[in-house]
Amino acid sequence: MLPFNRLFSSRLIIVSCSICLAILMCSPAFAKDSLTLAIKGEPADGYDPTLGWGRYGSPLFQSTLLKRDENLNIVKDLATNYSLSEDGLTWRVTIRKDAKFSDGTALTAKDVAYTFNTAANAGGKVDLIQMSSAKAIDDFEIEFKLKERDTTFINRFISLGIVPKATHGPGYARNPIGSGPYKMIEWNEGQQMIAEINPYYYDSKPHFKRLVFLFTDEDTSFAAAKAGKVDAVVVPQALAVQTIPGMKMHAVKSVDNRGLMFPTIPVNGKKTDTGAPIGNNVTADPAIRKAINVAVDRKLLVSGILEDFGRPAYGACDGLPWDNSANKINDADPKAARKILADAGWKDTDGDGILEKDGIKAEFTIIYPATRAIRQYLALACADMLKGIGIKANVEGKRSWDEIKQRMHSDVIVFGWGSHDPIEVYHLYSSHHAGDGYNNAGYYKNATVDSYLDKAITAASYEESLDYWKKAQWDGTTGSNAKGDAPWAWLVNLDHTYFISTHLDVGTSQVEPHGHGWPITANIHKWTWVD
Amino acid sequence: MSAISSSFFLGKAGRLALILSLVSVLAFTLVSLSPLDPVSAYIGIDRMQISTAQEQLIIDRWGLDKPAPERFFIWAGNVLQGDLGTSIIFNEPVSAVIGKRFVTSLWLMASAWLISGVLGFVLGVLAGMKRDSWLDRGIRLYAYTLASTPSFWMGLVLLAIFSVYLGITPICCATPTGISPADATIWERIHHLILPAATLSVIGIAQIALHTREKMVDAMNSEYALFAFAQGETRAGVAWRHALRNVALPAITLQFASLGELFGGSVLAEQVFSYPGLGKATVEAGIRGDVPLLLGITLFSAIFVFLGNFIADMLYGVLDPRIRIGAEEAK
Repeated sequence: MLPFNRLFSSRLIIVSCSICLAILMCSPAFAKDSLTLAIKGEPADGYDPTLGWGRYGSPLFQSTLLKRDENLNIVKDLATNYSLSEDGLTWRVTIRKDAKFSDGTALTAKDVAYTFNTAANAGGKVDLIQMSSAKAIDDFEIEFKLKERDTTFINRFISLGIVPKATHGPGYARNPIGSGPYKMIEWNEGQQMIAEINPYYYDSKPHFKRLVFLFTDEDTSFAAAKAGKVDAVVVPQALAVQTIPGMKMHAVKSVDNRGLMFPTIPVNGKKTDTGAPIGNNVTADPAIRKAINVAVDRKLLVSGILEDFGRPAYGACDGLPWDNSANKINDADPKAARKILADAGWKDTDGDGILEKDGIKAEFTIIYPATRAIRQYLALACADMLKGIGIKANVEGKRSWDEIKQRMHSDVIVFGWGSHDPIEVYHLYSSHHAGDGYNNAGYYKNATVDSYLDKAITAASYEESLDYWKKAQWDGTTGSNAKGDAPWAWLVNLDHTYFISTHLDVGTSQVEPHGHGWPITANIHKWTWVD
Repeated sequence: MSAISSSFFLGKAGRLALILSLVSVLAFTLVSLSPLDPVSAYIGIDRMQISTAQEQLIIDRWGLDKPAPERFFIWAGNVLQGDLGTSIIFNEPVSAVIGKRFVTSLWLMASAWLISGVLGFVLGVLAGMKRDSWLDRGIRLYAYTLASTPSFWMGLVLLAIFSVYLGITPICCATPTGISPADATIWERIHHLILPAATLSVIGIAQIALHTREKMVDAMNSEYALFAFAQGETRAGVAWRHALRNVALPAITLQFASLGELFGGSVLAEQVFSYPGLGKATVEAGIRGDVPLLLGITLFSAIFVFLGNFIADMLYGVLDPRIRIGAEEAK
């Protein structure tokens, strides 16, 4: 009896000790001031805004002249005042006087002018083709001259982080110095990047003193989150239904959309420079495109494919300031779709369940990149939904975009876009860009839409341009949305899904553009830790 | 001796030069024929915000407007002057990228190479020495199973068991997260090396062990082994005193010739463990059409594999003087 007792008591001690230890290790007794984030998006070419770093919102290390708030309204950051001349060709921007770079030097108008001029010539991902020059008028005022009127130019003020003229050079991308909330401490390429608070930041101090960004693969990031090693991790929608102990799901709305792009002109025997065929006799009929828009059940796509992490899409820019609320249509209505087709003369004459018109069968191919599961499911689901209205859609996965490029002017493609810059609407629908690479790949042309788009670009201001962007989508009689010519059937907007620590408060996240990751850090200076 | 050595080295150097030029022509041709469009890969999802005029600026910056043969000769000319060009995706000189990444990979490849070489040889010798024993069967089962296992799958399984489920090894990376690699201790580095090195070596072991076993079986059945047995030598004695030296030679050749496989295996293992070495850079360069980096890595790996074979050749003479003497007599 005695030995058993002794054994039992010693076990009890071990067990209770380990329980105490476990409790001690699990509960952080004090507020954390450092965060580990696995949100992807390592910029391999470095953190140089003049080559394109930070174009998705917060450049983190640098600050921008203007920025977008939670509701995507344009607010001032470095700029204290800005105006556009009558002729729309000259911007004047005054900047704050207390801004300093993380090395303690003052940020002046010269740095701003240098940043814009350098970016214009760098041949990177910053498109400043419309700017002819940027010049410092005095220490705190800059003048930008444009070659042509362009209301979307204001987006460069929002996305281009300002670099210091004195220390910007070839090594800058790996050792950035800027006036943003954080400064880089260390970057081990392919692994992690460590940032700490910039002591010279002019705005309110962020809560977290230290940020560690992990640049691991999707699987590894998820494993790291499961092992409790990260405070925020981005996951694909398919993994969002899982649970991770100590973490909660943070789904962020986005305009990261998916839709079907239709070739809008019939086959005319012409080919592109690279030999890609142009035109499709079935989708060239607007009745087909409209019927598809009406027949597709977008809510079902969202619940069935995105596990409800998303919302139906009716345009390229749902919910953005330049989105037209009239884009929303009543969908999931096969009866109405069948009527549209019948009115346009599509009839099933040979009784095989597929409609015909003038000897052409209502049949086409939907192409998607084979590696993208969501696009594959969308293509398959749409094909299934179209069967009921007498349209036969064949589904085909392609290995690469380079293969798709050869087919995108003659077949239906599952594309995804979504940007915080309305220029995207222009590139998607303007006939000036018909067949110009991925821009308006379906050769869509509507003179009224073209004129609205051109008016939007050349309007007196960004605010005035908004109305023209909306009219290009639908002006009451015509437009590029599903009620109009329907060159696209927009299907869904994804939610970007993050698992974040239950203690982490990230505030209100912006509606994010296409591409996971950095956009969530746009308001990182407002993030806090709650015990 | 010295006359032979210098002609031997000259011959090898000539062969290396020939290999490198063939490899670079072939690699460049393949990359040029590939439908990958590096500009599209670079612009990515920004496609709709970038005007055609800006795209032209990017093409100009990279010199992609020139025809492929012209680009090749410009590139080759620069390489001859020691300039491998600038990596498109890393925006850094190719030599700097390769240098940085290779140092990281070297840790991984060296440890995997040593473990698989030593363990593989020992297991092969043991299996061959006691042919058809339970030990031999066990080793063969292990080797046959693992020789056909893809390394990335092995990596995932190890990761799931030891890092996620048991939590005793790190999830990723070459050093602990949150601290600077310069501050990482040697133990922390080794800790991060265990799983990727184990992944690479469990498979490497299989190859070496199977080949060594075959040779060992041959040696144990040879006439000189029979003669030794007849003189009352034990199996272990024959193996240790007679067979080992004969078996060592092919094993060492195999071990040095396996550098190519090691390189290939590390590409996959680094991908799984987010180990930021040369293998990961190779994948990036391939997927995103970074021609200068891809060609630089191709040349580098060709030299690497060549050196492995070259060392094996050199070691022949050291381990088995008959080869050296034979070569001298032939002269």
